[in-house]
Amino acid sequence: MRHVVDARGSFCPGPITELVKVYRKAQAGDQIELLVTDPAAKSDVAAWASKSKNELVEVKEEQGYIRILIRVTSKGR
Amino acid sequence: MIRIAIIGAGTGGTILANALSRGLSDELRTGRAEIVVFEGSESHVYQPGNIDIAFRGSDPRVYRRPPAKLLRRGVKLVEKPASLIDLNNRTVTYNGGEKMSYTYLVVATGSVAAPEIIPGLAEASLNFHRSQEDARKIWEELSTFKRGRIVVLTNLPHKCPPSPVEAVFLIDEMARKRGIRREVEIVYATPYTRAYPAHAIADVVEPEMEKRGITTYTLFNTDYVDPRAKKVYSLEGEELAYDLLIAIPPHRGAELVINSGIGGEEGWIPTDKHTLKIKNHDDAYAIGDATDIPISKSGVVAHLEAITAAESITSQIYGTGKVYLFNGRINCPLEMGGHRAVFVSGTYTREPERQRPSITKYLMKRVFNRLYWTMLSGKLEPIFNTYLGPPYDIR
Repeated sequence: MRHVVDARGSFCPGPITELVKVYRKAQAGDQIELLVTDPAAKSDVAAWASKSKNELVEVKEEQGYIRILIRVTSKGR
Repeated sequence: MIRIAIIGAGTGGTILANALSRGLSDELRTGRAEIVVFEGSESHVYQPGNIDIAFRGSDPRVYRRPPAKLLRRGVKLVEKPASLIDLNNRTVTYNGGEKMSYTYLVVATGSVAAPEIIPGLAEASLNFHRSQEDARKIWEELSTFKRGRIVVLTNLPHKCPPSPVEAVFLIDEMARKRGIRREVEIVYATPYTRAYPAHAIADVVEPEMEKRGITTYTLFNTDYVDPRAKKVYSLEGEELAYDLLIAIPPHRGAELVINSGIGGEEGWIPTDKHTLKIKNHDDAYAIGDATDIPISKSGVVAHLEAITAAESITSQIYGTGKVYLFNGRINCPLEMGGHRAVFVSGTYTREPERQRPSITKYLMKRVFNRLYWTMLSGKLEPIFNTYLGPPYDIR
């Protein structure tokens, strides 16, 4: 399942707060697509993914925003 | 007759009602308008005072007053809670079924600390965000605590962003004063990537924590608490043992908002962050903690949004054509112990800047605690405007 979290216009800690909210309900194998405008979210989400042992699949600069894709790999281990 | 209904007489609702009563004084006097405030609580609590109750043993009575004493003459107070808001039919239901129609509505229902959202948290922890009574329990517990590990655990979303860090510093200060600091381990666990969400403020806070021997766990999102084992487990796979757990619980919106179906399952009202109008409604506003605006849930934001909404409503009533747009100003004191503080200041477009903790800023916070009740009346607005400028832009 793919969850889209639109945190555009929100500054730290907004994006990561929205991400974790969706992560609580996500299942192993789900993908979470996070849309942000705050550049600090890139390093915040990378740090969170590393610590929580989830996979940071992609960080892509789009037109006026950043798309971050995470695969839930830590649940159900 | 124009009727402005305000739901909630907390910081935002009270300031708004008083500001409107000044702006619309002619209309109120001649009966062309009325301002009605709905409030079910017997006390208006100055919530930042909970820090002093929990960590300094202050008398809770100093920080509460009856709502009726805080509203200007001409404002009608309905001392019953509203039970339903109907935005489409422009009515408020209260007192077990009575309905009142409105011309303009402002929802200022605040937020609720809800430790029950996280399994085990309510049973295992104390908090100072839910009530004065809860804050008092922390003081009683800390006063007799002799040795062991105190964990301050932050959960999102919550009101008053500086409060977890303030708690940590004041616990450290209290333990030193009692001569037990060597026997007490203080641990701060936060979901943020750093000790404070604004990095410029984290730059100030983190070295101070390190200097005082406070251990910080970042990226710690509570999954559940096991009260028997006295352990907190995080979504990120860490576990944290504690002897005393002081939590900043996750917050949700007011039950009234959830029951009225205007704020989703968590109860945050979709609100335009500049106009403060409830989305898709031209006659209804939301201010303070009740909104879904990505800004800190704090008294200062409730205050400045109330001023902005009051100007907007007055402008709508008089048909001036002016639109007032909130600029997202925050200005929150953060106490660091040792009679020093910083102010976390910024707007939607200006991040908080790094600053040096000072006694002056600490004294400003202490003075404001005293001035709060006067501030609610609106008498200090000319001073705030002179030094800080208005909290809105006009289009």
